[in-house]
Amino acid sequence: MLKRSSVENIITAALETGADFAELYAERTEQGSIGMVNGRVETAQSGLSCGAGVRLFFGTQAIYGYANDMSEKNLIQIARGCAEAMKSSVQHSRKNWRETVRPCINPIRILPKNTAKSQKAEYLRLAAEAAKAYSPSITQTRTGFLEVSKHVLVANSEGVWGEEDRVRTRFTVEAVASSASEKQRGHFGPGGSEGMELFERINVEETAREAARIAVTMLGAKPCPAGKFPVVIDNGFGGVIFHEACGHGLEATAVARNASVFAGRLGQQIASPLVTAIDDGTIPNAWGSSAMDDEGTPTARNVLIENGVLKSYLVDRLNGRKMGAAITGSSRRQDYRFAPTSRMTNTCIAPGKSTPEEIISATEYGLYARQMGGGSVDPATGSFNFAVLEGYMIRNGKIAEPVRGATLIGKGPEVLWDIDMVGNNPKRAQGMCGSKSGSIPTDVGQPMLRVSRMTVGGRG
Amino acid sequence: MERNEFFEQLAKAAETEGFTDCETYYQQADSFEVLVLEGKVSHYENSRTEGVSFRGNIGGRTGYACTEQLAADAIPFLVNAAKENAALLPPEDAEELYPGEKEYPVLQGIHEGLERLSVSEKIDAAKRMEQAALAGAEEVALLDYCVLGTVRVETVIRNSRGLDVSFAQNYATAFVSAIARKGDETKTGSYFWKDQDWNGFDPEKTGREAARRAAMQLGAASVPSGKYDAVLYGEAMVALLGAFCGIFYAENVQKGFSLLGGKLGQNIASTAVTLRDDALLTGGYASTPFDSEGVSGRNKAVIENGTLRTFLYNRKSAKADGAESTGNGFKASLTAPVKTACTNFYLQKGTKSRDELFEALQNGLFITDLMGLHAGTNTVSGDFSLSASGFLIENGKLGRPVEQITIAGNFYRLLEAIEDVANDMYFSSGGKGSPSILVRGLDIAGM
Repeated sequence: MLKRSSVENIITAALETGADFAELYAERTEQGSIGMVNGRVETAQSGLSCGAGVRLFFGTQAIYGYANDMSEKNLIQIARGCAEAMKSSVQHSRKNWRETVRPCINPIRILPKNTAKSQKAEYLRLAAEAAKAYSPSITQTRTGFLEVSKHVLVANSEGVWGEEDRVRTRFTVEAVASSASEKQRGHFGPGGSEGMELFERINVEETAREAARIAVTMLGAKPCPAGKFPVVIDNGFGGVIFHEACGHGLEATAVARNASVFAGRLGQQIASPLVTAIDDGTIPNAWGSSAMDDEGTPTARNVLIENGVLKSYLVDRLNGRKMGAAITGSSRRQDYRFAPTSRMTNTCIAPGKSTPEEIISATEYGLYARQMGGGSVDPATGSFNFAVLEGYMIRNGKIAEPVRGATLIGKGPEVLWDIDMVGNNPKRAQGMCGSKSGSIPTDVGQPMLRVSRMTVGGRG
Repeated sequence: MERNEFFEQLAKAAETEGFTDCETYYQQADSFEVLVLEGKVSHYENSRTEGVSFRGNIGGRTGYACTEQLAADAIPFLVNAAKENAALLPPEDAEELYPGEKEYPVLQGIHEGLERLSVSEKIDAAKRMEQAALAGAEEVALLDYCVLGTVRVETVIRNSRGLDVSFAQNYATAFVSAIARKGDETKTGSYFWKDQDWNGFDPEKTGREAARRAAMQLGAASVPSGKYDAVLYGEAMVALLGAFCGIFYAENVQKGFSLLGGKLGQNIASTAVTLRDDALLTGGYASTPFDSEGVSGRNKAVIENGTLRTFLYNRKSAKADGAESTGNGFKASLTAPVKTACTNFYLQKGTKSRDELFEALQNGLFITDLMGLHAGTNTVSGDFSLSASGFLIENGKLGRPVEQITIAGNFYRLLEAIEDVANDMYFSSGGKGSPSILVRGLDIAGM
């Protein structure tokens, strides 16, 4: 992508501005997608995206410039132009390259570009047919395929030189069930840092039928009652609760500015002793995995909370400087348009001892959130909200009637204390997480959990 | 490669490969952003990006592909990928390229004052915002963000049928988010400014307003669950408009993703509701002389005094309905196909002040913020269940702050239930706007 001598010249020129750290990130990404509505191809797109970004540190001040034009001349000009805002006469020098051999953690068996698009469209058609055939109430289906193949280069003045090929594929299905006055949706989006072998791992028709089942079930559901009561959140995408309620508050972006409710709490009990949470960017072929992060640091398995005690934040290079903390290999960015910062990779709550049956039967009255939708959080206050895609009431220790339109709200620090049962059935699910450095693939995950009291919004 | 040369080579290669018609949609963006923290530049960004989206007709089908690299080796990629993509698409979806119009509306895109602004002037303004925010309220000792940016975007669309349009536009944005703390309680408040006229920018006001908004939420508590009458501030209503604007897109109506099918000419909202989509609004954040298909921008009443007047069309959905495009065919990004999008999409304001609405309400809630829009809304059924915050209204006056509540309802019902609209106006940076509105009987979950 860029010659080594060019990279050396760019970094050297960047350091001449007086910066004490200079980094070059370059990428070349090929992306393809197919979208179907009701079994007909509606969009088919291919894109080639290329660009580079130069980042300079002056102590804890950072400057970032980027462009599509990856010529040595242009990138040197960006580095110099960016430094206009800074004045420093101190000169730092570039360290020699240290190349570390990183083990490939996402081996790809079938590169997506070696499979014909017509074959990919066929998976989508089969899924659409299966969802449609599930019930006469299914009136619409949307199915989609995404492939991303990204080559990344990161080099910095401290001698880091890292390159990686990253391949991701994802299948999405949405089924809409309609009655005269109502429409309800069910959807899934399994994917991974893997090739077309994704379609050997998952069964697109079963996944589509499951989405259809949710839509049909919710179509007949009554509005969820509002109030404050126990909530049982099932495994898999239920992990979005931790992602939103706590994960974002553990990112150094928020912690370094003292803008997180979890700032200054390392070593303290911040959650129920039943809670252990881990961010692991090294899980083979997982959606949020890579060999190195977007600063060239090898990814790691970081224990964030252990038995309720806060053990670690997610720390990138710049915020690590501000906090005096070690980097954790989880500095990420959507693409060259974004400076990297601390983000989650695959973040999961570790399994506990209760079986799902024990959790349900121990709950007299409450809400069973079988499938979660998305949500968001304000890291400064810890206030979060998220939607329940598929919900049921629990009555007398048994799963009762389905309910729709439920929203869970609360504050991260409080909800962590209120987790009073943790199941033994961990599962991960895929999401796109949007934050300061763009939209990135992350896994969320957890076993079934019970929160003893939660505010549930609904219309019943 | 120089862009005109690239367009020509691409057109030539496409023709050789068998494309009968082709189009290049080009966009170039220059952007600058500075983030200030504690009187110093904490982050600074400068960029130039460009890209071309190609579409062409081959064998009676239309294919798309795009590139950010205007280099010789991108040309075979575009042509081959577009050919493979075209083969997947049904021939009945083939897109006829637009030859363009004789005349286009003239909008002032480039403001010279902004072009001439120096880096140090921008940094200085950002620092003044920060100072004003920190001095704006006793409880504010820290800012979440203090950002100032300028953007220049140029769009050029050319095709083999004769379309050749271009538009360049620049603007500046400022955003401050302040953190207010008292005891264990933390609140954030934010304020933004966006305009083409730098002289109209008041950095102190932007900072102060963010601080004021954060501090005034301190002391917030929930309310008992139940049905409440409420005034929704424009910003909260705009959040709902943003989530549900898709129900007015003809393409969603045609696919059954909207419940408005067959409702043209019928009353779908209270008579207080007039909803416009105006591409030509003076000073509008989403003003544009043409859409991504080259169709000229215009001003439409979508709902007029409660009556549904038109859907928003791109050329494809217009053809399906035997209608004319309303100039709402937009690409969300270079890689995105032309879909439907709003321009300046706003609820027209009324005559009463917000205080008069409070007076009419007597007791209820003033909802200022809604959260969780991307998850707590069902864009098909219109249902929403969202985390909200705001203030109590007691005896017609603004009372204590309210937090940790959810507001649940249905957007279609909400349009019918709007009793009155105020004469204030809030516009989001994307061009969605609303005055404060008065609605009765919202379902609120709280304590």
